Amino acid sequence: MSEAIVAEKLGRIYGRPPGVPALVDVDLRIPQGGIYGLIGRNGAGKTTFVRIASTQLAPSSGAMQVLGYDVLTEESHIRERIACVPQESRPLYFLTVDELVFLHLTLRGLDRVDARRRTNQVLDELDLASVRHRLVSRLSGGQRRRAMVAMVLASDAELLYLDEPTTGLDPLARREVWRVLKRAQREKRTVLLTTHYLDEAEALSARLALLENGRLVVEGTPADLRARVRRPFRVRVGAGLTREELASYGEVSPVDGGFLVFGGERTSRDLATLALSKGVQVSMGPVSLEDIFLQLVGRSIEEDAPAEEGP
Amino acid sequence: MTGRHRLRSILTLAYMNGFVPIRRQPLYLIGLIASPLSFLFFIFVASNGTLLLYGISGGMLLTVLSIGTSLQADLAHYRHDLKLQDVVVASPVEAWVYVGGLALSELVYSIPGMAVFAVLWATSGTATVVSALTLLAVLLVVWAFASALGFTIATYFSDVRETFAFAPLVSIILSVLPPVYYPISRIPSAIRPLALLSPTTYAADLLHGAVGIAPGPTLTGSLVDWAVLLGVTGALFVVASAKARWREP
Repeated sequence: MSEAIVAEKLGRIYGRPPGVPALVDVDLRIPQGGIYGLIGRNGAGKTTFVRIASTQLAPSSGAMQVLGYDVLTEESHIRERIACVPQESRPLYFLTVDELVFLHLTLRGLDRVDARRRTNQVLDELDLASVRHRLVSRLSGGQRRRAMVAMVLASDAELLYLDEPTTGLDPLARREVWRVLKRAQREKRTVLLTTHYLDEAEALSARLALLENGRLVVEGTPADLRARVRRPFRVRVGAGLTREELASYGEVSPVDGGFLVFGGERTSRDLATLALSKGVQVSMGPVSLEDIFLQLVGRSIEEDAPAEEGP
Repeated sequence: MTGRHRLRSILTLAYMNGFVPIRRQPLYLIGLIASPLSFLFFIFVASNGTLLLYGISGGMLLTVLSIGTSLQADLAHYRHDLKLQDVVVASPVEAWVYVGGLALSELVYSIPGMAVFAVLWATSGTATVVSALTLLAVLLVVWAFASALGFTIATYFSDVRETFAFAPLVSIILSVLPPVYYPISRIPSAIRPLALLSPTTYAADLLHGAVGIAPGPTLTGSLVDWAVLLGVTGALFVVASAKARWREP
């Protein structure tokens, strides 16, 4: 399998020495094709990684190759082949949706005929044709982000960077963007997606990397990540069993109307059997990515990390 | 990117940032020509019309110089608020193409104002083909100078509001202290050397000669003016390409 991005001992420090480390010795190989999820708390180093990979930021140490080219010395080759929707980016508010996509393509050097064909195609496919002549400033938040994603999807880039494309959107709007991203997956392009929404990463990514405080914690498929945690099952039990009774089955956390117990497969089955025998409501399943994050990092992904994400 | 692709990118930026906003909001144009026309009116009234040509040449120079300020504000806004520069950096578009396209778009805004001044100058009876070509050449160099300056400054600020605070200072150095609206002889001799430090002084001298203000610069004076103007503009381009932050270091 060939690689889209190879990072070797990649480091980035912001500010004057000693500075604030945003990435520390990150070794990561991102395969070509499909959606690759980069997850972590705010400030974990995700945006710094994307900015280096998209040639917007120079690394402080280590090396990175993108599509076989060095980010420091061969950036023009990389820029010919990539497109990016940066974190918190917004479209030019005085353009219509059609102009936003079409002019982005001619800006990249595509001829007008090709740009028009690609624009029409992407707007049709992403259900934006009905608002194509509407100013982007008059779109909903979800439509606006979809328009930004459409802009890069319509391009001829082999590698797309989407940095937190759904932050701030409501659940419905997020799913609109997901639908768009799944289209990119079908096209066999590579998409590097950063997110701190773990359900999003799990729903879209074939492989994931988890960053914490600028360091790579774990990398692999969602199944690989599950295999890395000590307690890969979660049992939710309703009222009727005490915390003391549950303690021997794993790690117990109180939730509304009962407890969550994280444990191994055998102990979880035993607990489910016990609960059923006592007539207590119970459900059991593999841990979610959210649970895995909590177990690996020791805190919720909703908490901000101390590291800064650059100037 | 080939030369044709680059040209397409530049024209796209000029259309996107120039023609489209003007078509959607024509009031932009009135706002942009208001200042130079106000100065012209003030100078005309205060001098009983004797300094009209200074008002016309000064208005032209100020209109083109304001491109630098507008470009600086647009670049900062697109970089920090909309992240457009990040989108462009991660694309085949080179820094000079991006800046050139946006600078051309700012030139689009100045066309109506320049047309008003050109008509006024044509009716003054001092316009000739040679002087019109000289004037055009000077204004093109000033446009290049203002654009390079705007780009370099914009890349050094981390907040749009900082660029707004800096703009009046640039304006004083480039268009108030130099003899844009009056002869250099009117500046007190004690501070005249300061005016000579501004490249706009040399552009104004050439423009005064071009629009027919007598006595125009001597041949030697003209050569010095051109040498300084082109030298400073060239140096600024070198500084812009070496120091401006396209990729964050």
